[in-house]
Amino acid sequence: MTSLTEKLQPGKVNLPSWLSKQLNHLGKVIMPLIGIICFLFIWSLSASNIDTSLGKFPGPSAVVTQLGNLHQEHMDERSKEQAFYVRQDKRNADRVAKDPNYVAKIRSYTGKETFYQQIGTSLITVLSGFLLAAIVAIPLGIAIGLSKSLNSAINPMIQIFKPVSPLAWLPLVTMVVSAVYISDDPMFAKSFVNSMVTVTLCCLWPMVIQTSVGVASLNSDWLNVSRVLRLPAFTHVQKIVLPATVPAIFTGMRSALGIAWMVLIAAEMLAQNPGLGKFVWDEFQNGSSQSLSRIMSAVFVIGLIGFLLDRGMLVLQRTLSWDKTSASL
Amino acid sequence: MKKLWKKINKQVCQATITVTAALSISAFSVNAEELGYPEKEELKFGFIKLTDMAPIAIAYEKGFFEDEGLYVTIEAQANWKVLLDGVIDGRLDGAHMLAGQPIAATIGYGTEAEIITPFSMDLNGNGITVSNQIWEKMKVNIPKRPDGKPVHPIKADALKPVVEEYLDQGKPFNMGMVFPVSTHNYELRYWLAAGGIHPGFYAPHKGDTSGQLDADVLLSVTPPPQMPATMEAGTIYGYCVGEPWNQQAVFKGIGVPVVTDYEIWKDNPEKVFGISKQFAEKYPNTTIRLTRALIRAAKWLDENNNANRPEAVKILAQSNYVGADAEVIANSMTGTFEYEKGDKREVPDFNVFFRYNATYPYYSDAIWYLTQMRRWGQIDVDKPDSWYFDVAKKVYRPDIYQKAAQSLIADKLMSAADFPTLTTDDGFRAPQTHFIDGIVYNGKAPNEYINKFSIGLKAGDKI
Amino acid sequence: MSTFLNISKIDMVFPTPKGDFTALKEVDLKIKQGEFISLIGHSGCGKSTVLNVVAGLYQATKGGVVLNNKHVLGPGPERAVVFQNHSLLPWLTAYENVELAVKQVFSKKMNSKEMQEWIEHNLKLVHMDHAMHKRPDEISGGMKQRVGIARALAMQPEVLLMDEPFGALDALTRAHMQDSLMEIQDELKNTVIMITHDVDEAVLLSDRIVMMTNGPAATVGEILEVTLPRPRDRIQLASDPHYNELRSKVLKFLYEKQRKVEVISPQQATPTKEEKQSSSEVA
Repeated sequence: MTSLTEKLQPGKVNLPSWLSKQLNHLGKVIMPLIGIICFLFIWSLSASNIDTSLGKFPGPSAVVTQLGNLHQEHMDERSKEQAFYVRQDKRNADRVAKDPNYVAKIRSYTGKETFYQQIGTSLITVLSGFLLAAIVAIPLGIAIGLSKSLNSAINPMIQIFKPVSPLAWLPLVTMVVSAVYISDDPMFAKSFVNSMVTVTLCCLWPMVIQTSVGVASLNSDWLNVSRVLRLPAFTHVQKIVLPATVPAIFTGMRSALGIAWMVLIAAEMLAQNPGLGKFVWDEFQNGSSQSLSRIMSAVFVIGLIGFLLDRGMLVLQRTLSWDKTSASL
Repeated sequence: MKKLWKKINKQVCQATITVTAALSISAFSVNAEELGYPEKEELKFGFIKLTDMAPIAIAYEKGFFEDEGLYVTIEAQANWKVLLDGVIDGRLDGAHMLAGQPIAATIGYGTEAEIITPFSMDLNGNGITVSNQIWEKMKVNIPKRPDGKPVHPIKADALKPVVEEYLDQGKPFNMGMVFPVSTHNYELRYWLAAGGIHPGFYAPHKGDTSGQLDADVLLSVTPPPQMPATMEAGTIYGYCVGEPWNQQAVFKGIGVPVVTDYEIWKDNPEKVFGISKQFAEKYPNTTIRLTRALIRAAKWLDENNNANRPEAVKILAQSNYVGADAEVIANSMTGTFEYEKGDKREVPDFNVFFRYNATYPYYSDAIWYLTQMRRWGQIDVDKPDSWYFDVAKKVYRPDIYQKAAQSLIADKLMSAADFPTLTTDDGFRAPQTHFIDGIVYNGKAPNEYINKFSIGLKAGDKI
Repeated sequence: MSTFLNISKIDMVFPTPKGDFTALKEVDLKIKQGEFISLIGHSGCGKSTVLNVVAGLYQATKGGVVLNNKHVLGPGPERAVVFQNHSLLPWLTAYENVELAVKQVFSKKMNSKEMQEWIEHNLKLVHMDHAMHKRPDEISGGMKQRVGIARALAMQPEVLLMDEPFGALDALTRAHMQDSLMEIQDELKNTVIMITHDVDEAVLLSDRIVMMTNGPAATVGEILEVTLPRPRDRIQLASDPHYNELRSKVLKFLYEKQRKVEVISPQQATPTKEEKQSSSEVA
């Protein structure tokens, strides 16, 4: 209770004068800049001293060059795509000319996935797996938090499954998905479903646990308010439990998304499912003289996306959650 | 964006259609009457990053698949097991496979499934590489040519003292191959056994699938692209693998290829294109059409005395295909092979895609793999000759190949001269003599062949 | 006047790992309608437990509570509670906090326009109409407590239960709040039970002061009638001998008769904690 009052009435720090404020702002820009410059320096210096069997370790300039190449490859692939559709339309037209009953179909482009597309695939996968997990985990967490008996029934399972790396599930997921998800014209590719389910599995536990803990440690005064008002169960959950748990839910979601992104990349590498992980693995397997710098580029992109995902969650939390203090960096 | 594009598309098309409609007596439409349109047009093929996947890449890049009305996506696979499972569970419609894979799947060694092959992808293309350290020790046992370079082919006799030295010191001698039923496993075993080194037996009926019983050299599975790295890490002392992973070792300076499979067995059949039997039955036109595309690609690869190879190398070097540096791929693809650094020799037939009836799925090729499976215990009991023929006929489907070839001739896309023995072939190659140990292989007498080896199971033997 | 709220011989026993702990023993109190009662006593004596039993948040081990001829079986809006820490829902504005209560209590009796007017009326009553669309974290502690009171009043309770409503406020704000409360009480004539630690507050606000003995097994020690005329003015009362006499009676009870001799030892502190814990458990 006291912690709540502290949270709601944060102690005001005496801020220094405008000058030190300015310095502070400057420091916020300059220090990271210095950090980055130092990093680039150490990186390029050490990179040139590391000889691998695939050539020198890529330095910053090699990565920049590769990012350019990856962009160029994307553009090239797009022009190939256009040519593909032209050819296909012609072929369809020929066939219609010969067989008027034929209903021309447009088949989508069969070329390779470019770097940008791999990024897109990974993002879509991680977000859909994450959302699926949220849809399952939040109600489950609330139910567990509300009911002691449900909690004691489910808790052993959660405790056992929580520490399991979702990658250990991957083979099982793969087999189950291929056995269960059978359709002649599937809406989603199996590989997508595999990755997504893996992401879901790893998102599930932090969200369930955080949500249930949030519900279970609900401020007893608020519960008393609800009791005094004799709120019906549904209204109780809707008006008291859910909003009160929002900060905890967000904490769970943020850590889940962070884990999910890491796991997804690993899962894509392992299962060769389309996405950034596969890009990295393919490049590693290619073993060409450019492979390392391309992998390094992907590493930066993966990191950047992970960072942006986290920031995105933070912004979302700040917009949606009443408890601004819990939405800290 | 997309909409706009489609609009432009249509306009361009309408323009071209009016022009071409009158002119087009397209080969495609003529043969369509006989062959019929493909039942399934959108296909996904898997491959492993090896140069011998070239026919698939070429058929795609040169538009041979599209000419057949097939819209093919090509996807690299992590390893042979994933690839095979993909074809079995339908995630892949077809794939670049080890010749042993459809056979083993059909007889139920490993995952049981009915996989067939209408198209043999290439001859030769593998090599055996050892680490620099082993090479230094082997080198002293190899006779030299006047110019100081080793005399080829290098036999495993040169390796034997090295292996014995390791065994005396109590150190296991590990080598890598790519899959238990891979050509590489059988080639490596053949080479080792020919030099008096025992590569070990399998005993699947006892649950032993490691293939290391009684072994002097312990063979284990490593996916092809990881071979060089695994050897560099010291986990294995050598390996047998397809290109570019032998040449890669030379470029990286971590190992020396000692022998190619061309020298172990001249013009040995290597990869095949595998599809499930179910697929072939459900989509007969698609099956014939994809075979046509692959035959055309294979021909393109060998045409005019390998004139197209440099272009093929460029295509294969793309990161979505083999992805290795073009110069590494070029080494073997353009008819040379670099052994020890600087010891580059002409091997014009290192990769054969079309010559010598390379694409024809011979029963005798299948039977050779079966004999080796029996020799090393993967098939644990004796089988009559008729069993070998039956299995071969189940898996290898020259009937589909013949239909494809004949329709290509009919469409004038290829000439009858491209298939010199198409009408006379009975599915068996003439007895083959060019083995490193001089033993002759006649596919019509498998049991007799098995009994010729000094190392390996013979009639009546059981582990 | 007849008994409106009858707290009849209640015992409260909390099971603890070390055996049962008797918090209350035979607490007996009869309250008339419109009466303002203060419960005073040392901390840990079980004042809050009494209040919680009346609120229905606890079930008495023995005895019971009858309000307006109805047995109290559980919590309900006819016994509105103003909690010590305002317990406003931080994700709702002042208006929405009151609205939650009003919607629950009056959804069948009022249309939405009436409800809106009623909410605004109650917020005006506590002088919070200027900040009714602010969230709890945007207003001061006193203001939060005002909203808490508005929420309780808006339920039109038969009895208003206040658990140290001004305990967390500074002295000035507290005086201000007390004056406000007296004003409202003059107008509404609610039946009120208020827990307090503050002797001045008790004398100033109450019609009767119920002084509780120290726990364990706390019970009603003495009851003091506060016959000071209303409206009461704190400045005038400061020099009123009757006021000071009442004040000193309470002080005497607390610091002579029920003096806590020992320094508060962990053993004595434990019951309080347990009380609170079990309150959250029951909740």
